[in-house]
Amino acid sequence: MAYSLSLRATSEPPSLGAGASAADASLVAQLQQGSEAAFRTLVARFQDRVYSTAFSLLRSPEEAEDVAQEVFVEVYQTVDRFRGEAALSTWLYRLATSRALQHRRRLSARKRFAFFTSLLGFANHSLPEPPDHAHPQALLEGAQQLQQLQQHIGRLPPQQQVAFTLRHEQELSYEEIAAVLGTTVAAVESLLFRARQTLRQHLQPSFRYV
Amino acid sequence: MSNPDFRPGSDDEWAGLLRQLRLQAKAQPQPFFYARVHARLAAERRPTIAWLPAWVRRPAYAALLGALVLAMSGDGPALRPASPASQYGGYHPGQPAPH
Repeated sequence: MAYSLSLRATSEPPSLGAGASAADASLVAQLQQGSEAAFRTLVARFQDRVYSTAFSLLRSPEEAEDVAQEVFVEVYQTVDRFRGEAALSTWLYRLATSRALQHRRRLSARKRFAFFTSLLGFANHSLPEPPDHAHPQALLEGAQQLQQLQQHIGRLPPQQQVAFTLRHEQELSYEEIAAVLGTTVAAVESLLFRARQTLRQHLQPSFRYV
Repeated sequence: MSNPDFRPGSDDEWAGLLRQLRLQAKAQPQPFFYARVHARLAAERRPTIAWLPAWVRRPAYAALLGALVLAMSGDGPALRPASPASQYGGYHPGQPAPH
């Protein structure tokens, strides 16, 4: 399913206090005047959230770094168009999730291409799988289930995946997730319910032996 | 919302798994992230060759254009014989016929 996020108006997430909103508005105003100090502040304030969101969706430090850089470059280049109708954090989460999903689509296409060229004998190598640093001992324990869970999260439909990641990894409220996805709280509840149901059904056999 | 298919005994394990997921999710970028973003911005700000149309700046199109130019230029006259060897144009009555 195609999934895109735009810069359209959404309601202010209620968890953001008036102080945070005022600080964000001031930061945006400085950014729009081209202040480099403001840009540095913005990066320092949001880099962990943007990076970890991208990492949750891509499970690759290199790809997450690339996406996080792209997000901040885009913010710098398009901040003039930001009218403050959504919270700054909402905008950044939107950019991070949509960019991460774009990267994932591109990676999948590249993998498919590498697979076909290897079948046709044009190339002797294919793209390497992401490295597995897990120790065998750790895999025997809960880490194995966690790894399985992450694999199944990666196979969820994009909107469910984003909703699940923002809820259970970034710990955003339902209202914040709705603002990021540009949808309603009820739709977020539905997305999360379906995501949890799918994940638990897939993980059910492994729970049996714990 | 509850699902009767879920075994009641697995709820704690599911909650524990989500807790683990939350704990390991706090990934952070490598140090000096701002410096790398700044470098990327600077690289993107570098002036491109603006007088060339955008499609020429794509290597595949540029290579195709180069190949087309090579194919169409210069080789035609070189491959043609120096004098036209037409069997009608070069013979005049009274002259010995060419062998």
